[in-house]
Amino acid sequence: MNFLEWYRVDRLPSIFCAGCGIGTVINCTLSAVTSMGWRRNDVVFLSGIGCSSRAPGYIRTDSLHTTHGRALAFATGVKLAEPRLNVILFTGDGDLAAIGGNHFIHACRRNIDLTVVCVNNYIYGMTGGQGSPTTPVGARSSTTPYGSTETPFDLSELAMAAGANYVSRWTPYHTKELTAAVKAGLETPGLSFIEVMTQCPTGYGRANRLRDVKEFMEIFRMRSMLKQKADRLLKEGKPVPPDAIVIGEFVRRSRPVMGRRG
Amino acid sequence: MVKDVPCMRLVIDENRCKGCNLCVLVCPYKIFREGKKPNRKGIVVPELDRPERCPNCRLRQLYGRTICGLCQLICPDQAIDWIGEEPYEHMKVAIEY
Ligand SMILES: Cc1ncc(C[n+]2csc(CCOP(=O)(O)OP(=O)(O)O)c2C)c(N)n1
Ligand code: SF4
Ligand code: SF4
Ligand code: SF4
Repeated sequence: MNFLEWYRVDRLPSIFCAGCGIGTVINCTLSAVTSMGWRRNDVVFLSGIGCSSRAPGYIRTDSLHTTHGRALAFATGVKLAEPRLNVILFTGDGDLAAIGGNHFIHACRRNIDLTVVCVNNYIYGMTGGQGSPTTPVGARSSTTPYGSTETPFDLSELAMAAGANYVSRWTPYHTKELTAAVKAGLETPGLSFIEVMTQCPTGYGRANRLRDVKEFMEIFRMRSMLKQKADRLLKEGKPVPPDAIVIGEFVRRSRPVMGRRG
Repeated sequence: MVKDVPCMRLVIDENRCKGCNLCVLVCPYKIFREGKKPNRKGIVVPELDRPERCPNCRLRQLYGRTICGLCQLICPDQAIDWIGEEPYEHMKVAIEY
């Protein structure tokens, strides 16, 4: 089976802008789901509000497109009511870390058996490119026209500290690795968090001279640094460049899990 | 030999493609080239340069799985796929290693 078979072709082409990375993230997620051998009735997709949260609407399974930031609360309900289901969430950095921040840390703390795929595009895409909790220092957005001065969240670090059993970070440039990471997340009991640093050429790109998707991808290619290398630099007492995007698998462990029978 | 194995043809669905050229970026065989003319939707869809060089066109049916598939996986608009076709005259296909 090919991952394209999961798509609701009647709804394509999608509403996403040309070159937006969300479509790639859906492809990789569905590719991982395909490799698990699951059928339509085994999987439920949930999301909150935002461009990234439109994803479940393109997939031929049951899904819940819920309220802004609250998808994790709905997902907890789904999982506890029907533990047989494999529950996957699509969320954005605003949805997960701003309005939904508390749901996020407590879902990680409880370590509910869910897989959370977060499209971190550094801004609020849907509402016009406002700054989010992950907007990098110096980056422009419609609410930080002179460059953001706040320290952003590192969402993967947050998930690890809060207790998630699986955490990794990739970009849409790393399609094969991202697919493998989602699969590892699906296989790991407990909360799995896959952060995908994603290009938003319209919101973030336009404000930061990255309107051209190829330039955006070049950044993912050039600035990405494998966790192993970052660790080695730190061990040698050398600095990790501040603009490096550290990618790879950060944690895979077996803390007690909620939402699994047996 | 290869002759009897059904081959496939690489196609871009012009209705879905948004002309982002991410496929141009990732194909190791440089099969996709940036297009020049906008189609009826005003989108400049990439051109294909000898798509029969793609290993999927020759081997997907034979192996029963997608080989490489990078362009399809990265295409944010699900526009790339392989469809069945009459076998190629395999002598004419220059295989690049
Ligand atoms: C309760 C509530 N507050 C605010 C909004 C407006 N709103 C819609 S989407 C969004 C931000 C989405 O950003 P993000 O989660 O990063 O997703 P993206 O669009 O970037 O994928 C906001 C603030 C809303 N829909 N509901
Ligand atoms: S606004 Fe940004 S995140 Fe939303 S569809 Fe467009 S490119 Fe994607
Ligand atoms: S499958 Fe690989 S080789 Fe074939 S067209 Fe796509 S990227 Fe190129
Ligand atoms: S990646 Fe897909 S949408 Fe983008 S240009 Fe290629 S075929 Fe078109």
